Order: sequence, then C-alpha cells, then structure tokens
Amino acid sequence: MLKKIKFEKFTAFEKLEVEFSEGINIFVGENGTGKTHILKAAYAACDVSKSQKNLAEKITKVFLPSGEQIGRLAKRASVSTLGYVEIHRELADPKKVINIRLSLSNHTKLPEKASVSGAYKQWQEKPLESVYIPVKDMMANAPGFRSLYSLRNIHFEEVYADIIDRAFLGTLKGQADQSRKKLLEILQGAMDGKVINKNEEFFLKNKQGELEFTLLAEGIRKLALLWVLIQNGTLLKGSVLFWDEPETNLNPKLMRTVVEILIELQRMGVQIFLTTHDYIILKEFDLQTNADDKLRFHSLFRNKDSDEVEVASTDNYLNISPNTIDDTFGSFVDREIEKSMGGLGK
Amino acid sequence: MKLENVDGFSFDFTDALDAFVFDEKDKSKPTYHGQPMKAVDILVELESAYLYIEIKDFDDPNAYDAKLFNDDEDLKKKKDGFKWLKNYLKYKYRDSYLYRHAEQKVDKPIHYICLLTFDNALNTTMQKALRKELPVGKASNRWNQELVNSCQVVNLDKWNQHFPKWPASRAVGGAT
Repeated sequence: MLKKIKFEKFTAFEKLEVEFSEGINIFVGENGTGKTHILKAAYAACDVSKSQKNLAEKITKVFLPSGEQIGRLAKRASVSTLGYVEIHRELADPKKVINIRLSLSNHTKLPEKASVSGAYKQWQEKPLESVYIPVKDMMANAPGFRSLYSLRNIHFEEVYADIIDRAFLGTLKGQADQSRKKLLEILQGAMDGKVINKNEEFFLKNKQGELEFTLLAEGIRKLALLWVLIQNGTLLKGSVLFWDEPETNLNPKLMRTVVEILIELQRMGVQIFLTTHDYIILKEFDLQTNADDKLRFHSLFRNKDSDEVEVASTDNYLNISPNTIDDTFGSFVDREIEKSMGGLGK
Repeated sequence: MKLENVDGFSFDFTDALDAFVFDEKDKSKPTYHGQPMKAVDILVELESAYLYIEIKDFDDPNAYDAKLFNDDEDLKKKKDGFKWLKNYLKYKYRDSYLYRHAEQKVDKPIHYICLLTFDNALNTTMQKALRKELPVGKASNRWNQELVNSCQVVNLDKWNQHFPKWPASRAVGGAT
C-alpha cells in the first residue's frame, strides 16, 4: 500500500506532499495542477517493484519528456534545478514503511545518470501489482500495438502499452471467489455481455454474437476493461489501481456502476487513485460510501500569492476546498443572482 | 434590523425598512400569522423590493439529489424527496403571496430566496425547477403583473458573498 508521495522541484511542483488513504484517493483540481503527474509517478514506483526496471527509466517512459531527456522533468526555472520525487510505501509483513527516491537535475539527460536512492532492494523484493488506466481507450487499438511499441516505432507514453499488457494477461485459474464473481456480474449486466480475446483482438460476446471493440461505444469499452482486469486477477487484494478521468466518454448513468465497482474493489483491499473533473463521479462516491469505507479527496490548487501548486486533503465530501467542480455550478448561481436581483443586498 | 436564530440562522438586514418572522406563532406579537396557510420564514421590506426568505437546514442533503440513484425504487424515493422539497418551497411561497395580497402589500417586486444547506450543483437544480413552477416573471400573456420577480436558491457561502448588506450566520446553539 502506498502511504505518501513527496515532490520537490519536479514537473509542476515546487514542493508538495500528499498523504494517501489506504482505500480510494480522488484528485480534483483545475487543468495544469499536476493531478496526472501524481498518478504517473506513483504508478511508475509500483510498476518497478514488479517489472524490476529502473525507476528513472520507467518514469522517463511514463512521462515521455521530449527526446526522453529525464532532466526535462525538473521544474522549469532560470537557474540550475535539483528536483526529486519520493514515494513511501507500507509493507505488510513485517509492518514497516520504506521509501524510494528519484533525484535529477535539469541538466541530466539520460535516465541512467539520474540517481535512485532509498530502500530500492526491499522495494523490488516485494512486488506490488498495479494498473494504470489512461484517459484514451486502448482496447480497440490493441491489435499490433504492442509489437509496434516494442520496436519503438510510435511515440506513446508507456502507460498505453502497459494497460494492453495487463489486459492480455491470462485468466486466473480456478473458480472466481464470491466478491470477484459479484463484480463481474454487475459489469456483465451493465455492458450486456462478456469479453473474449482472439489473436490480440477483443470482442464483447453476448446472445447476439461477438462484437469487435471498434464497434463498441467507448463507455462500454471502459466497463469491459474493468471486467478483464478483475477477471484476469490484476485487481486483487493488495493491488493498486490508477485511473485518469474515469468519466471520459462514459454516460452519467454508467458512472453509478463504475463507482459501485471501485468502492467494492476498495472493500476487497485494492488501493485506488483517480482524477476527475466530474460532479457526478464525486457525488456518487459521496452517496455510495458508508462510514467504514476509506475515501480521501485531494484538491490541488495554485496558491494565489506564490502561484505554486498546493494540496488540501479531506475525508469528507462537503469539506473539499477549493472545489473547482462545484465552483463551476456556483458561477451559475452568481450569474443568476446578478442578472435577476440587480445588485440588491450589495 | 436583526433577526436572531430563525431556523438555526441569524441575519442582519442593514438596509431594510422592516424585517420580521413571517410565520410568527406568538399571538402577542403584531406580526402573528394565525391563518391555516403555509408561510415562508422571513419577510423583509426594502425601499424598492420585498424579500421572502425560506430556510432549510438538512442533515442529509443527499436525500434530495435526484440525479443520482441506485435502482428504480431508490430513484423514486429520491425523486419524491426532491419533488417534496420543491413543492414545499413552491406552496410556501404561493400561500405567503396570497396572505400578503390580502394585506395589500404586494406593491413592489418580490424576490424569493431559499437558503438551503446544499452544494451549488444541487441548488442550481432546485432553482431551475422552482423558477419554472412558481412561476417567475409574467409567465402568462394574460398576466398584467408577476407573482414573483426572481427566485434564488443559495447556500450560506453564496448568501454572504452576494448579500453583504444582509450578513447571515449559523445561530449560536443551532435551530430552535
């Protein structure tokens, strides 16, 4: 389980520290406040525990700075900059917190010149299963993508190749346990079928036959991806799910199902990180969770004086502040009052 | 002109000619309501307008969000909750207007302000429904005057942001 992430002079952040919930972490904030950067950095740290890759190399592939020059991830400044990202994680047995840190300067060109410190050996001895669902759907584009990507013929952040890899993992052997079975059934009901794959191509199979993913609505492909990840055992107790803007291309009615699944996964012991700009997603979490669920909202915003990104975290929906999503609705209230009350009370 | 602890909130209408609890139950007061009609909480007379103010402090604002539902029954329950609140706010206004009509005190534009403890998203949904159903403005071609000039649904933050001349706060000790 991830405990905390710290940044200093790294991408959008001058100095930032975020304490995570062991359950669901929801990042809100305007564009350009670094929500996705937090997810990507945390994901890269999880991934190297399993893939045994070097953190500097993974972060470079996941962020994809121009020319793959890792130094471009240092926060832009007119002088030389030294920056780092540090990720803290709690090990279950024996229970203790370890961390790893990637340090770099804006002059560092190659990933191997950046320095990785902390308990890296222990980090890699205990693999963390993780999955990152990017904003753009990749399921329909899976055929051939992996081979093209491995030949380095296409310029895509590695999260796109990784998600296809996770989706193509074989199915878990044996009977799915009750909680997984329940989740799969909820998804099957919502998308009206199951997912099968033939020669690197996904199909939705139901009574009418087999429908290729290119013909499926993008929102249904999202449910299908969740189905695959639950079915093949990627999302099990102790794993970590990162999801960038789950609302993209999803009908508001389907969000209820997505949130229901995410809450159930959290109850099974999956740690979840997601970003959103959507009121309905936020409100669904507020409505569907109970006191035993572990949920934290992280609001990223720019300090008005320093213009630096800061974070305000809360476990209570009504205390999210600033709440850029509700502020948008608030601006409707403002304009309505100004339009129809002509300055009364001012 | 101060009003203390009206449904859990206190107000100061600094530019008001008059401000009183409209659904007054105390028979000894000149503003005693005394009729079997619904009544908004506060009535304010300004130089150029009247304000009708209704306050609702909900423990569970989620009970009224009809956009979100878990199944058909849940949707019905939530819709009923939203509908109930909308009708409650609507008929309170209309009865209050009738009462004031009989007093011959509907001679200035009337603004109906509901102070609800919802987020802005929910308040805009409620405001839209109320505007349509009160209805706001000269809704019919046959009307020569309007029943209500405007309707606003705001939370405490928005109230204080827009109405600095009428500061509002949660009353010490809460609702009575």
